[in-house]
Amino acid sequence: MCLLNITWVLKEIRGMNPSNLKFPVAEERQKMTETKNETVTKYIVISSDKVLPSDAAMKIYESEFSVTVKETCFGLIVTGPKDEVQTVIERIRQLDKNHIFIKDRGFPAGDKRRCRATLGGGPRPGFHFLREEVKMLPAIGAALDELEEKAPLREKLKEKSRIKVSVLEKIIEEELAR
Amino acid sequence: MSSEELKPVKIALVSCGSEYSGVQPEFESAADKVNAKFVYPEIDIAYMDTISRDFGLEVASGDLRLMMARAKAVVEGTTNVDGVFITTCFRCAEGAIVRNEVRRYIHKNSSVPVISYSFTERTSAGTLLTRLEALTTIVRHKHLLTREIQSGLTAGIDSGSTTTKAVVMKDNEIIGKGWVPTTKVIESAEEAYSLALKEAGVSIEEIQALGTTGYGRFLVGNHFKAQLIQEEITVNSKGAVYLANRQKGSATVIDIGGMDNKAISVEDGIPGMFTMGGICAGASGRFFEMISKRLGVDITDFGAMAVKGMQENVFMNSYCIVFGIQSLVNSLAKGASPEDVAAAACYSVVEQIYEQQLQEVDVKEPLILVGGSSLIEGVPKALTKLLKLNVLVPKNSHLIGAVGAALLASGFVDE
Amino acid sequence: MAKVFIYPANSLILADLIERFGHKPLVIMNQIREKVTSISLDSPPLNITPEDPKLGLRYAAIEVPPGVRGRMALIGPLIEAAEASIIVENPPTNFGCVGCNRTNELMKYLIRSKGVPVLEIKYPELDEEAHDFVSKIVEFLKSLPKEKLGHDEKVADKEPSEKETGK
Repeated sequence: MCLLNITWVLKEIRGMNPSNLKFPVAEERQKMTETKNETVTKYIVISSDKVLPSDAAMKIYESEFSVTVKETCFGLIVTGPKDEVQTVIERIRQLDKNHIFIKDRGFPAGDKRRCRATLGGGPRPGFHFLREEVKMLPAIGAALDELEEKAPLREKLKEKSRIKVSVLEKIIEEELAR
Repeated sequence: MSSEELKPVKIALVSCGSEYSGVQPEFESAADKVNAKFVYPEIDIAYMDTISRDFGLEVASGDLRLMMARAKAVVEGTTNVDGVFITTCFRCAEGAIVRNEVRRYIHKNSSVPVISYSFTERTSAGTLLTRLEALTTIVRHKHLLTREIQSGLTAGIDSGSTTTKAVVMKDNEIIGKGWVPTTKVIESAEEAYSLALKEAGVSIEEIQALGTTGYGRFLVGNHFKAQLIQEEITVNSKGAVYLANRQKGSATVIDIGGMDNKAISVEDGIPGMFTMGGICAGASGRFFEMISKRLGVDITDFGAMAVKGMQENVFMNSYCIVFGIQSLVNSLAKGASPEDVAAAACYSVVEQIYEQQLQEVDVKEPLILVGGSSLIEGVPKALTKLLKLNVLVPKNSHLIGAVGAALLASGFVDE
Repeated sequence: MAKVFIYPANSLILADLIERFGHKPLVIMNQIREKVTSISLDSPPLNITPEDPKLGLRYAAIEVPPGVRGRMALIGPLIEAAEASIIVENPPTNFGCVGCNRTNELMKYLIRSKGVPVLEIKYPELDEEAHDFVSKIVEFLKSLPKEKLGHDEKVADKEPSEKETGK
């Protein structure tokens, strides 16, 4: 992947408009940032009754996009050029839009620095938190469905707060009097 | 290299954020040097909800709860490791509490050796090396560490920063000693070693095994083709309990060296938690040398002089060797007696050890004081006064490293 | 489009909802991506070097542990770029970049004191709470301006401004 990035930078520099080279240091830095951002990785988390991760993966394999896809227990990890990944995830989201969720991932799929096989044990920290959030996705999806169906009629959940000492005193007195 | 040496030692890294502090590569580099590999104990995520209650320690940070959960995984054997390295950020109180309690928990509930450390972003692999070397030695050479008597004809050389010590031992007795100031590492070692051999009346060829320790251990060890080259934490722990005849049970070893100090918790002769260093040479043998020179007394008479003095009469700050000397000059100018100044110097050194080093180790009796400075009588006196504990100074306490090395090296005679 | 800082800084649910409703989530994953794909750095696993805790000095004093400052070197630029924020209280146990509570306290304080719109909301524990959670977030996101453009994927480390360096 590093090689790809370097090739891309070279291509960009060759094709660069000289008028943009007013402040070479700042420009170069900007270019580097763009280069790094060019390849992105996204998680597609599928919490759907209608779509299976393998269906979604198939949809991508069939497409013309040059992205890499890895199936995981939650859904998919997609790595590739930013624009293509963006188009792919939007298409996949439309398969069941309120039940497919997307977030960025820092590491490319299978990166050795974060792979539990090479680290000899526990998973990377984000894994546990993702697992916790995934548990809540059916409810989030249902809430999105409901929002879509009707204007939200938000029920005001009763806020909890600590009771006043005077009230607590009264309750204690009542309890003791029984 | 033995097959034991070739097999990497698996060390569980129980940390709350070394990878966010820029020090992780230093950790990895130190581990590589001693052929160790860090692993991250796998935990059941359900542990995370209950670990604070199970462990009894409620903390706000998820990573600290993860440390407790990982310690539990080690103790329960769900993760098989040879040792544990517990580390948190320096200056984090929450982290320090967890680091200490997790260390105690593993120590109490399993036989897996554990060391702990607090890091800053300036922590270097060199700082960690001695610690990891000690940890891997406990794993690889536990059989050596269980040795309680010296056998055969062996020698030990301790190449320290200020002095080089050598001993020759035969059938559990010291039969030759050498003690010279360190100038050039190898030459000083040769000199100390030949003094010891001469006193023992044996030739170098007759020595069955040699062990080296101290700062110059690698250089000296390779020069003499030593069977054992070992860092001073392991060697001095073993040497101290051997000389003090306290090989079983708990002990605390305090070694005041020429440049730095060590405080080590020892259990059955095996080092547990330890701290190395000190803020400044103001808490070391070098400070005593400078003070005695200024007082115009020989270093060998300095201790007896200190015993006669009253430390309370003189204010001395030896956190810095320069300010320490300044305090001394001021006190003398105000008419303080040399005895009081000497006593204050001893107190100041042990005070720094107490404040900087003993805070991180479990201080358990007996307290064994070793190293060259233990011979200055004012030092054990000041330490006893400060800690309200009896301090034991074994015979030949200044030869601690050399004796420990000769004792451990005798493990190679049997082999 | 508003740039929205989220807490926890790695939340799937928050990042997804923000993007879904037309805004830009400022997430730590993009900061990490910047680090781990940098060809000039070799400090695995995250490529955080001893330089990062120094960058963190912008947000916390030298006496604050390096783990906090190293994390702030990643999170601080996100807070600086934020035009709004959603803070979730009592999120499930999390570790890693958000595993240090001192860092979390500092980042929440910095975003609250920035003066941008902040929604503070409790993490749902029951299904019915999830409905309330989603609708509050959606309502908040709809209240944010749509026009502004945030096109940088990763927030660049900002050079200290004249005002700050002039102190």
